[in-house]
Amino acid sequence: MSVLRPERSQRSGRLKNIMQNTKNHRGSLGWIFQAITGVLLIVLAGLHMIAQHFVAKEGLRNFEEARSYLANPVILPLEVGFLVVVTVHALLGVRAVLFDLGLSDATEKRITQAFWVIGSLTIAYGLWMTYKVITF
Amino acid sequence: MNQPTTNNQQRPKRVWQWIDIRNRKLGMIAYVLNRITGLGLVVYLYLHLMVLSQLTNGPAGWDGFVAMAKSPLFLTFDVILLAGLLIHALNGVRIVITGVGAGAGSQKSMFVAFMTLAAVLLAAGAFLIFTK
Repeated sequence: MSVLRPERSQRSGRLKNIMQNTKNHRGSLGWIFQAITGVLLIVLAGLHMIAQHFVAKEGLRNFEEARSYLANPVILPLEVGFLVVVTVHALLGVRAVLFDLGLSDATEKRITQAFWVIGSLTIAYGLWMTYKVITF
Repeated sequence: MNQPTTNNQQRPKRVWQWIDIRNRKLGMIAYVLNRITGLGLVVYLYLHLMVLSQLTNGPAGWDGFVAMAKSPLFLTFDVILLAGLLIHALNGVRIVITGVGAGAGSQKSMFVAFMTLAAVLLAAGAFLIFTK
């Protein structure tokens, strides 16, 4: 998440003005999504850290404990949600860093497209792993 | 996003300049800190996914890793990870609070307060990591 600078906070507070400029629109929508996913992550990452590392005996679950934990119908959607949200937040963050380097519109669009692919593959890989563990 | 502004003039023009905090104001240090912890956490995310792939090999693949992960070296990495998470998360909370138009005049004191909270939580987390 890029650190807020005053001009950015003013832009995100005046959404209608932002929409008049395509480039600002793209960047600010990214900022808004990053803020939303960031807040969600505090809850989801907090739950993940507490459940997986602080509550678990000796700090980590063995395979059977991890499998039964993931198979829990309440935990599974939370862990899958965590995977999706953390991936979106991470890639939006890297995208923001790259955009701040002053790239052309065309390059920014290509980066966004590439990150859609990377994000989709990451989530698919995480889902595949989860399925393999639950059905082991 | 990329329009030059007074504040943007303080921003590093090259990525390597982020780590040079000489003559930087607190806001700039917060900005750099968030970027560095964020990028570090992205690297960790993909390392974590690679390590988790051991789970697909069943107990033979995973339980051996768990035994190794209890070594003091790994626990130290856990503490570093927790530090990155806390700094990034709490700095992020400050950004969101300011971003929605609240506390714009008290960003510096909020930053100090959140980083103090991060230090306290890190101390508690490190204690738990090494004593469990």
